[in-house]
Amino acid sequence: MMPFIRFFKTVGVLCGFALCANAINQLSTTVEDVVVPLPNEIFGALNKLGTVNWRAHVRSDKGPNLTERPRIALLLGTVIADGFIAVQAEDAETVKNIGQRVLTLAKGIGVGNSITPHAKAIIEAADKRNWNNVRRELDRTQNSVQQAMNEVHDEKLSQLVSLGGWLRGTEVLTSVVNEHFSADGAELLHQPDLLSYFQKRLQGMPEFDLPIIHEIEGALVQVKPLIDIGDRRIPPETVKKVNEITTRIGQGIVTKD
Amino acid sequence: MNRFVKIVARASSLLLILTALQPAIFASVDDAQSFALQAAEPYVKQGFQVREDYWGGDLGSGEKKAVRQQLFKGNEYWFWLGTEVDKAKVSVHVYDSDGKLAEEPDSWEKGHFAAAHVIPKATGSYFIIVSVEQSPEERTHWALVYGFR
Repeated sequence: MMPFIRFFKTVGVLCGFALCANAINQLSTTVEDVVVPLPNEIFGALNKLGTVNWRAHVRSDKGPNLTERPRIALLLGTVIADGFIAVQAEDAETVKNIGQRVLTLAKGIGVGNSITPHAKAIIEAADKRNWNNVRRELDRTQNSVQQAMNEVHDEKLSQLVSLGGWLRGTEVLTSVVNEHFSADGAELLHQPDLLSYFQKRLQGMPEFDLPIIHEIEGALVQVKPLIDIGDRRIPPETVKKVNEITTRIGQGIVTKD
Repeated sequence: MNRFVKIVARASSLLLILTALQPAIFASVDDAQSFALQAAEPYVKQGFQVREDYWGGDLGSGEKKAVRQQLFKGNEYWFWLGTEVDKAKVSVHVYDSDGKLAEEPDSWEKGHFAAAHVIPKATGSYFIIVSVEQSPEERTHWALVYGFR
């Protein structure tokens, strides 16, 4: 571990992110892509800052029946995120509905078989109000969907599932912090590398020429300078702005054109 | 007869070689993952939720790999590294985006397992450096899982 620090000292402590990343690149073979956190990683951190009225953020409407696979993938990501919100709210009925909805959407993109056992497990765990098991099964669901997609070389759809979840998570995070602002809550928005990751992924999807994809691209361009502000604190107006943007995009994802 | 004995002897030798090589041939990142999960097991009882997603690959002795991860202030994280090569020695360390070591002193290394404990002081990107310090194999599979609470 010591040579690593010495290595950094030689390139200068004042290095920006890019230089640090380069330094790490030189040290190791490659820097792997960002792993997208689950929405409940953010919700867990948010919970520690004070009581959150999770019930106010539960969404139980079934949503539209979509036919385009990229749109289904985005919606699936948001529905899984809604599952985590319903778990935070300990709303068993909504969790069970979400279990069914996840299965329907997974079938819509051809990966229903890998999800069936998880959907059953979500419903069973919700019946028993075993929230830890529901969380684990939601994570397994997302993982299985993405693995199944990757196996059939649908990696781009798999990335859209992650993006849908991240957008919904950010919408709820900003909504909660907007209601009761705190600097620590706003700091949870400091995710510029994740944002860059999603931007790069979207740039690699020219074949998904859909209005919602273009809207998301535009939204990420708007959000990036708001949260990529180094060590400075994220102010309340930024939280409000990001909430407006992600809420608009969220509406676009759950609404049929 | 002699020829038959020779064929049987050769076939047996081939079988023996294949049996000896079996772990190396059929071992995979999935095996490494099961060892990483084994290292994580005691922490689940302490309330850590272990992610299903994981990083994995193979490295030669002395090689390192960096992975980037968004961590949130307020959460507590453990990263567990494992390999199926039981005579290998692996390590995992976590640095913040300024290159400063960000892990707690109770992080540990035990042969083919290692773990790093992080309580982030700030929300942002962190770098997890995994390394195969020593191994009898030319390439050693590794898997890294993480949990949070």
